[in-house]
Amino acid sequence: MLELAGVDAAYGHAKVLHDVSLDLKEGQMAFVIGRNGAGKTTLLRTIMGLLKPRKGSIRYFDNEVTGLSPEDLYQKGFRFVAQDKRVFSNLTVRENIELAAYSNREPLRRALDKVIEIYPKLESFLDIKAGKLSGGQRQILLVGQALVGDPKLLLIDEPTQGLAAVVVDDIARILGSLKGRVSALIVEQNLPLMCQLADKVFALKEGKISMIVSGGSEIANTGSFDEFM
Amino acid sequence: MIYTLMYGLTIGAILYFIAIGLSLTFGTMRVTNFAHTITYTIGVYLLLTFVTQWKVHYFWAAIFAVLAVIPIGYLIERFIIRRLYGESLDYTFIATFAVSLIGVDVVKWIWGVQPKALGDPIRRYIELLGFTFPVYRLLIVGIAILLFFALQLFVRRTMVGKIIIAALEDREKVRCLGIKLDKYFSLVFVLGSALAALGGVLYAPITSVHPYMGTSILLLCFAVVIVGGMANLKGTFFAAFALGMVVAITARYWPPGAETMVFIVMAIVLIFRPIDV
Repeated sequence: MLELAGVDAAYGHAKVLHDVSLDLKEGQMAFVIGRNGAGKTTLLRTIMGLLKPRKGSIRYFDNEVTGLSPEDLYQKGFRFVAQDKRVFSNLTVRENIELAAYSNREPLRRALDKVIEIYPKLESFLDIKAGKLSGGQRQILLVGQALVGDPKLLLIDEPTQGLAAVVVDDIARILGSLKGRVSALIVEQNLPLMCQLADKVFALKEGKISMIVSGGSEIANTGSFDEFM
Repeated sequence: MIYTLMYGLTIGAILYFIAIGLSLTFGTMRVTNFAHTITYTIGVYLLLTFVTQWKVHYFWAAIFAVLAVIPIGYLIERFIIRRLYGESLDYTFIATFAVSLIGVDVVKWIWGVQPKALGDPIRRYIELLGFTFPVYRLLIVGIAILLFFALQLFVRRTMVGKIIIAALEDREKVRCLGIKLDKYFSLVFVLGSALAALGGVLYAPITSVHPYMGTSILLLCFAVVIVGGMANLKGTFFAAFALGMVVAITARYWPPGAETMVFIVMAIVLIFRPIDV
């Protein structure tokens, strides 16, 4: 469903991605690993249209989507959950979900149900300002927001970074429940979580794909991920 | 002293009308909009034309002048400001300042450079607690307070308002929710331009009308935006009235320093709360 071929991306003169090629099949959950500065976040931002590739192509269900805006890609089913866990803190939790429902023309009630289904505790927070949520609750809200409408490809950047173990378990459960339902490309440094959920792993090193491992058992038995963490 | 405070409230209300558009424009688009002066000044001159030449009643003339500024604001946004989204603040400063200079020359060309005066359109006074106040000035303050609550309702209760609040916090995230911000930016800009014109048409009867009137008040309004907090709608309201008071009280005791004092207050605020752009 998603295919990158020879993608280069840069911030000004600083080239971050070099000739990146990867593919993701429908329903696959793939993880991207790599050390700080390897280009993981840049990869997701480039796919989401927040950064235009300097070279190469991005195809989605065999259609060229290189250079499309984030708004257009969203309408095609792309969903991006950034690393910073920033919600719209001056809006309530309900209003945060309402924004996603609005752009999808989805009834608010249905959108709320989708989010509450993955994390029922959120129902009691609907009318408080999202800025008052804990880091973990914010992350769950952001993932829930990404499920509104008809998501086809989730791009999630470091969903468990800096979160308490109990929240990491919640995130793992939520991501597990999505496995097979939507495709996902997840940047994650949590090795056990990755081994539990990944269908495919892309290891990035200095902006290049340096290793691809496919299949749950192969991923679980690969011992060389440590050099990318 | 009570009259000084009344004067401060009036100036504060005028500053609020003009500063709110600047604050929204900066908050959502990251554009320091010097072109704001032009919608303000043209609004005033249109009012002047309607009242003095076409003999339209002030009330209707003010409404027509504000409405007439809307397409001007839209054209500035569509053909100049929109090209500046995402550019450095230097570019937005230079481009919008150029627009304001061109606008001043257009005003001079059409209406001339001689200062003009309108006069209080109501010419009624009200007795309160033993003091006599011009009804018109109370009306200006009343409209500012009504506008504050109307804007609060607008941003809290409407989808457009919620999108604007979200864009003030994180434009990129709003775009990643599939919401195209261009039309909302246009709306914010046009709303800001109309409010600047409203400030102008309300201020015109109690001040001197001249082509540079926008430039001098704009600097005060930037001070309001900085003191109130960039894109902080409530902060802008309270800062406008606070700085209006600073102008009025300083003018009473040290008239040459009235406007200077506003920038001293702004500098003190910046020392304790630097701007994060």
